[in-house]
Amino acid sequence: MKTVTLIFAVVFCLRAYAPAAALELTYWDFLGGGDGIRMKQIVEEFNKSQSDIHVTESTLTWGEPFYTKVHTAVVAGQTPDIMTYHLSHFPAGVSTKDLRPITTEELAAAGLKADDFQASLIQRSLEISKKYGGTDQLFGVPLDIHTLVLYYNKTALAKAGLIGSDGKPAGLDGLDAFTKMLTEAKSKTHLIPISANIYSQDPASLWRIWYTFFKQQDGDFVKDGQFSFDDVDKQGLKSLQIMADWSKEGLIPKNTGYPSMVALFTAGRADYMINGNWEVPTLVDLQKQGKLPFEYGIVAFPKLFGNQETWADSHQLAIPNNSKTPATPEKVAAALKFAAYVVKQLTWAGGGHIPAYLPVQESDAYKQMSPNNQYSVQAAQDVAFEPTLPIFGVGGPTFAPISNFLVPAVNGQAPVEQSLKQFTAELEKFQKQQQ
Amino acid sequence: MPPGESNRPERKRSKSSRTAWVLIAPFVVFYVLFLIYPAIQVVFLSLTNSDIAGQGRLIGLANYQELFSDQDFWAAVWHTVYFVILTVVPNAAVGFFLALLVLRLKRLRLLILSAFFLPYVLPVSVVTSTASWLLDANFGILNNLLGTNTAWFGDSTWAMPSVALVTIWWTVGFNMLLFIAGLQNIPNEYYEAAALDGANRFQRFLFVTCPLIWPVTALVLVLQLILQFKIFDQVYLLTLGGPSNSTMVVLLYMYREAFQQNRGGYAATVAIALVVIIVIVSLVQSRLLRLKPVR
Repeated sequence: MKTVTLIFAVVFCLRAYAPAAALELTYWDFLGGGDGIRMKQIVEEFNKSQSDIHVTESTLTWGEPFYTKVHTAVVAGQTPDIMTYHLSHFPAGVSTKDLRPITTEELAAAGLKADDFQASLIQRSLEISKKYGGTDQLFGVPLDIHTLVLYYNKTALAKAGLIGSDGKPAGLDGLDAFTKMLTEAKSKTHLIPISANIYSQDPASLWRIWYTFFKQQDGDFVKDGQFSFDDVDKQGLKSLQIMADWSKEGLIPKNTGYPSMVALFTAGRADYMINGNWEVPTLVDLQKQGKLPFEYGIVAFPKLFGNQETWADSHQLAIPNNSKTPATPEKVAAALKFAAYVVKQLTWAGGGHIPAYLPVQESDAYKQMSPNNQYSVQAAQDVAFEPTLPIFGVGGPTFAPISNFLVPAVNGQAPVEQSLKQFTAELEKFQKQQQ
Repeated sequence: MPPGESNRPERKRSKSSRTAWVLIAPFVVFYVLFLIYPAIQVVFLSLTNSDIAGQGRLIGLANYQELFSDQDFWAAVWHTVYFVILTVVPNAAVGFFLALLVLRLKRLRLLILSAFFLPYVLPVSVVTSTASWLLDANFGILNNLLGTNTAWFGDSTWAMPSVALVTIWWTVGFNMLLFIAGLQNIPNEYYEAAALDGANRFQRFLFVTCPLIWPVTALVLVLQLILQFKIFDQVYLLTLGGPSNSTMVVLLYMYREAFQQNRGGYAATVAIALVVIIVIVSLVQSRLLRLKPVR
């Protein structure tokens, strides 16, 4: 009994001495890599910068485990106060009512307005809000844009005479020139022309490349607001055929997992790597440590077809739509204050991402950030976001048929046309289950 | 016997049974709360069209009807059976072989025993990431030795055997221990008697070791069978069911239905089907192996 009294007394004293209690915010993210380290730094700085709000961050597994957990949390009424979210998952998240809309007034109270963010991003976000949420409010505060870029081994290409007078790789104008240049690179450098991740276990990279080709030929999954395979049968088939041909010609490696892809490039065994901008910190760090055996460069994904649209997605900060205890106005205000702080930090761009907040994107500090400035201006313009259908996007069911049918087609383990047919049949099945 | 003392044993019994109940109560409570109750909920869930968060309405046996005509499910059952075939008997055989090998050693026995047992101690994630680099198409040491660039986990023919190989390497240590214990339990007199009767080494192995180790073998086989039917971790970490669904096993299929397709009700149906399959196979197996000590 004495002990209990003592504990109470101590707790009471501690409470009395503690400064005015800060509002506790729980924050969930899925950032396990280099960007996770930067996010932790931002959270710490935010906590130090003021005393009204204290943010506790939890990092969960990226992808489908994250979105499953968010959905169950929303239903069970045990959500965080704010979380990271992919723009590509908005169609699914908004239709299952996992997200709480953020009003213009609430944004304004945190010192934000939609015009502060890259227009294409806001436009796509509002399109999803209208289609799946029946509202013209945003469901998230945009943090960044991330996209595919082309990394290159400057040392090897220069030796082979494949670097142009502008210091950038030659042959980046059009598919034929590009393929020709790759073939030349192969015979002259004796390296793998493009390190790419073609593997059934992590099919996301293949999807991003295929989708980029598809979009550059004006392909789309949605026609007049309806799900359509017309373009997939034409431009989609062509895109898959090109990738299969590249693989057959040895221009991209077969059966290469994500870590292998990065290792092939960073070990100097490939001329190029097609990958997301999130690997920028890996190269920056390796170079700093003197562990990169060559000089590298990065360019925005080249224009190989009719336009330069390139697969892209966006990290957003969103508020879960707790079904049992809706967020109080104070919590929402605090969450948005935190979000407003995060989107203004240049630290985030160190992860290779392009800031969505225009004052940061247009700042001199960002324009001078290297190697980001080698690709960011062009890449920010070329964004091709995922189709606005709930079956697509991070954590969506589409990755299973991509892994099952598109990967073997590119690896030369299955015929291209038949694989694409099987792929579309699966997508059609998912689409029916959604309805 | 004085009156009053006659019901003493009874009182004693009821008292001791009360004590027994108190002692087993914590277990029973946890068992009911975390096993029986969820199991009943799964049966209930399988009769609904719930999503993963359990929101849905009753749809009767529609899920079961769908299951019976679901080709992907039956393919997953076959892949699981294939994996069981590739692992259960080989795993027991390798374990038995290693046990014989270790017992024969006069020196360094403990060291070698530990070396064989070590993989079993490793967490599955460590085992699979090691294996995926060892068998990598571009960097793997196996391909380097063979002079090939086979993607062992990315080739529909090799994926399942590769997963099975990794599984055996990982888990064989435990079987080896069971066999070592069994082999050491065989009294030396039997071998001596057999030798006196003129049995050579091979005959002693065949007529003494083999029958006397059978109960252990049967136990290993049953444990293995149940364990391998529940294959999930290795395929989730190594192949995710690919390529072309060639390693899509029942539990991974259930996971995919639940967490990717957001179909909790149907996933529950798959789970129940797996339980039924395991029960039937175990019954058949225990009949076949006649799980009684052979003496």
